[in-house]
Amino acid sequence: MKKKKIAVLLSFILILALFATGCGNNQSAPEGDSGPGTPTDKKDVLIVGQGADAVSLDPHATNDQPSSRISKQIYETLVTQNEEMELQPALAESWEPIDDLTFEFKLKQGVKFHNGEPFTSKDVKFTLLRGLDSPHIGHIVGSIDPNSIEIIDDYTIRISTKDPFAPLLAHLAHTATAILNEKAVTEFGDDYGQHPVGTGPYKFDSWVNGDRVELVRFDDYHGKAPAIGKVIFRNIPENTNRTIELETGGIDIAYEIPPTDVSRVESNPDLVLQRNMNLSTTYLGFNCNKEHFKDVRVRQAINYAVNMEAIVKSVYKGVGAPSKGPLGPNVWASNQNLTPYEFNVEKAKKLMAEAGYADGFKTNIWTNDNQQRMDIAEIVQNQLKAINIDAEVKVVEWGAFLDGTTAGEHDIFILGWVTVTGDPDYGLYPLFHSSQHGAGGNRSFYVNEKVDALLDQGRTSVDPAVREKAYIEVQQIIKDEAPWVFTWSGEDLAGVRSNVKGFKQHPAGHHKVYTVYFE
Amino acid sequence: MHKYIFRRLLMLIPVIIGVTFIIFTMMYFTPGDPAKIMLGESAPHTEVAKLREELGLNDPFFVQFGRYVKNAVIHQDIGRSYATKRPVLEMIITRFPSTLKLAALGVLVAVLIGIPTGIISATKQYSLFDNIAMVIALLGVSMPNFWQGLMGILIFSVYLGWLPSSGFNTPAHWILPALTIGTSTAAIITRMTRSSMLEVIRQDYIRTARSKGQVESKVIIRHALKNALIPIITVVGLQFGYLLGGAVLTESIFAVPGVGRLMVDSIKARDFPVVQGGVLFIAITFSFVNLIVDILYAFVDPRIRSQYK
Amino acid sequence: MTDQLNVNMSNEDIKKKSTKKRSQYLEVWRRLKQNKSAMVGLLIIIILILSAILAPFIAPYGIDDQDLLNTLQTPSKDHWMGTDNFGRDIFSRIVYGSIISLQVGFISVGIAMIVGGSLGAIAGYYGGKLDNLIMRMMDILLAIPSILLAISIVAALGHGLKNVMIAVGISSIPSYARIVRASVLTLKDQEFVEAARAVGTNNTRIILKHIIPNSMAPIIVQATLGVAGAILSAAGLSFIGLGIQLPTPEWGAMLSSGRQFIRDYPHMTAFPGLAIMITIFGLNLLGDGLRDALDPRLKN
Repeated sequence: MKKKKIAVLLSFILILALFATGCGNNQSAPEGDSGPGTPTDKKDVLIVGQGADAVSLDPHATNDQPSSRISKQIYETLVTQNEEMELQPALAESWEPIDDLTFEFKLKQGVKFHNGEPFTSKDVKFTLLRGLDSPHIGHIVGSIDPNSIEIIDDYTIRISTKDPFAPLLAHLAHTATAILNEKAVTEFGDDYGQHPVGTGPYKFDSWVNGDRVELVRFDDYHGKAPAIGKVIFRNIPENTNRTIELETGGIDIAYEIPPTDVSRVESNPDLVLQRNMNLSTTYLGFNCNKEHFKDVRVRQAINYAVNMEAIVKSVYKGVGAPSKGPLGPNVWASNQNLTPYEFNVEKAKKLMAEAGYADGFKTNIWTNDNQQRMDIAEIVQNQLKAINIDAEVKVVEWGAFLDGTTAGEHDIFILGWVTVTGDPDYGLYPLFHSSQHGAGGNRSFYVNEKVDALLDQGRTSVDPAVREKAYIEVQQIIKDEAPWVFTWSGEDLAGVRSNVKGFKQHPAGHHKVYTVYFE
Repeated sequence: MHKYIFRRLLMLIPVIIGVTFIIFTMMYFTPGDPAKIMLGESAPHTEVAKLREELGLNDPFFVQFGRYVKNAVIHQDIGRSYATKRPVLEMIITRFPSTLKLAALGVLVAVLIGIPTGIISATKQYSLFDNIAMVIALLGVSMPNFWQGLMGILIFSVYLGWLPSSGFNTPAHWILPALTIGTSTAAIITRMTRSSMLEVIRQDYIRTARSKGQVESKVIIRHALKNALIPIITVVGLQFGYLLGGAVLTESIFAVPGVGRLMVDSIKARDFPVVQGGVLFIAITFSFVNLIVDILYAFVDPRIRSQYK
Repeated sequence: MTDQLNVNMSNEDIKKKSTKKRSQYLEVWRRLKQNKSAMVGLLIIIILILSAILAPFIAPYGIDDQDLLNTLQTPSKDHWMGTDNFGRDIFSRIVYGSIISLQVGFISVGIAMIVGGSLGAIAGYYGGKLDNLIMRMMDILLAIPSILLAISIVAALGHGLKNVMIAVGISSIPSYARIVRASVLTLKDQEFVEAARAVGTNNTRIILKHIIPNSMAPIIVQATLGVAGAILSAAGLSFIGLGIQLPTPEWGAMLSSGRQFIRDYPHMTAFPGLAIMITIFGLNLLGDGLRDALDPRLKN
């Protein structure tokens, strides 16, 4: 009798386990379990590993990298930028400026959406108006005047901006402006983000929340059909693990290979490491409203006191490069002739003494809990001791970090910026124009009338030569006035199995996978 | 007994209300604006303001709380995620099977290792087996779970190539995470079983049973184990419940798309509806586990059963 | 006159009680001394406490002495445990880290044990409505798994050592309450408690003098594991990026930051891991020894 009770107890636990096991079976997908070394005759599934799950596949509902990387395969934009950041036709065959404010686009004919609907200028208008309404991508499409979008015929459309806005085409190449289909959007309503419909080479198939998104080839694609029938984007958050999966053949491409795994991937004959400078930059910003940092000499002194080479070497393990100025090398009109601040403690001490801070002062460095930024903060804190600056590192949760730096509570902060459009306007205007203080993006509260004027000129002038000249000059001023400690220009590392061909990273981070084939 | 169960189910209501209120309050006062976090560093403040309005974040605390409770009670709607716009319930339900599977497999491994080891250790106190088992159990509790998981990946995925290192869709994927969770839980169960058995073995009735000439194994199983079970059940129940919502680290190392990881990601992103709904869901599940544990108490101990009338 | 007598009696009573108590502790100590593994545990704890106190004298380098030319060195004569990714001496950081880890472990368990233990004892002993109320409150807390609760609390309070201790402490209150309550439930109907009640001893006294001492064994087992758990929870919080502020050499945080190097430089995770393991090992040996020594039924 008593024995029976114990038996019942134990079997209860067993049943629970079996029940639980059974529960999951119906959701397990047959694909993707190409475990270590399962040879197949013809591989028709490409598995890509990235560090986070997509948030939404509605381009207007989010603007995060993991989502964009998937959206890139599903949707297309009017114009596009190739891997060299040159503008190329996509859904628009050609375009021409009509006046200072307006562009006219000729659209490609015979394009179909994944739901069978034909693509016309109505979809473009619908998409742009919807995008303008979205709080997520206003900074990409915000310059467009919603009342000016004019449909000439099914395949001709005119788009105007409120003010002269030179970088418009670069903005229309951003994945956030990908063209949606009105019928599909209305049909799915709130759930559209899980039922995306585009014109791209792959169409959406399924999504196991938190785990994987599966795409299949779209047979009516208007361009060159992709070689591989199915693409799976897997979410593997742990860096180490993503590399291991790549090594063991669980995935074919791994994004964001951590610096620590560089030599491992490079030395593995089965793997190829792709390294490309991207559009991101990491910087330490001074709060120029704070007493010490109003003095340009203090800001320069800190630039001299920090050994950037050593930081890049130890924090990023040689990935990326020390920044020369505010823009990365891949951005158009980036001034790569700037002389970066050298590491020179004596010069730094001299400047500090001139500014009247020979004995230094107390300050703080804000960072969020990004590992590399925390590492940088620690090193900088340590190196500033040499010029008697006593800096406290404050690791602040991301939301609080944004709040605090918007309000100007910080002394020094570490942050990154991605010039996604590849146009210097995007990489400089929000960060240095005095109209953008705080929430606008200028968290160093930097003010310089000359800089403002040049940035305005670059934004409004239609003549690329004029723009280029303005931006080159702006970068020189900013480097000299040092509202930032120019830190690091980013590099994208992707690990690819050696049988994977035709993959090339895009500086903006949303790499095409529809050109990939197996050998 | 039925009456007792019914009463306990009724008591779930205040628990649910309490949990809802605590988490809602905690999230409300958590620094960090969800709108700002979602939009990132490049968003102009007009967009942030627009999104805040859209999400209803500008309303005062009690308006937000009231709206939440009203929707939950009247429309059975616990909202949509700020970030993904998906219904929270759907997000949780699609992720729960993985978590349940992981917890059940982990506890299964733990019970299969822990209880027999604990019993043998207790009956052969200070023997070689006992000493070795206790040292191993100590190592088990001392080893950080994620470290153990990474080592497992290193050995079984990288060096030996036997098991996949991430994902959760085939039985091969289950082994490493289940072992990672199971072994450390086993250590806890082993220790509890041993100490609880030792307690019981010294009682008079065991001596009586022995002196009556009963076979030792019979004494151990029929008399000792049964009486030692209460604390063991408590620990197993607590561990199971803990794993249902707390296998966060293991879930993230092995890329198990479970509820725990969803919770952590959502807390970091200040995706309050998901945190709220997720914690509520876990709370209800866990309360059921507790109820079952309490019923099992009564099952093994008639003295407690009599209190349940 | 009668008053006088009463005072005398109770004075004597107190005296008798205190000598009895003293001898009881001596007895425990005597028994503990005979337990070799408990002594090993005690030794480990003493070494740890000493290293915490004497850290500046023991550690050859400072907490944050970076040397970017000597990063990720494997153990050598100059750096017994190698250096980390900033070229800091790991041995020195571990020595300093003993302060932090002991703090995290003991303070958070202290919080949990005092609050949770008393609540559990009260609930179990009085039963009825009070029990219901307390245990329902505990159920609310318990219904949120401790790591999740700790994460939420740290998210709400912010990072940092103090907040981590509070979060870990609060999140483990319910488990103490439940364990103490469970053992009180089995104790309260036992003869010696009935006897005390029959003599007219008041409830507080019964709980403090009879129930608590007799339910110490499971509490001690739980507490020793709890210190381990607290240190591991703190490490877990660091692992998911909600831990202790840099550059504090908390062992868990050190271990977490070493995880990105684990395949090439396992020493970065191995040594803090070992430090944690040895600490917990010591605590457990001592806890087990105490348990045996405290258990009066072991006497014969």
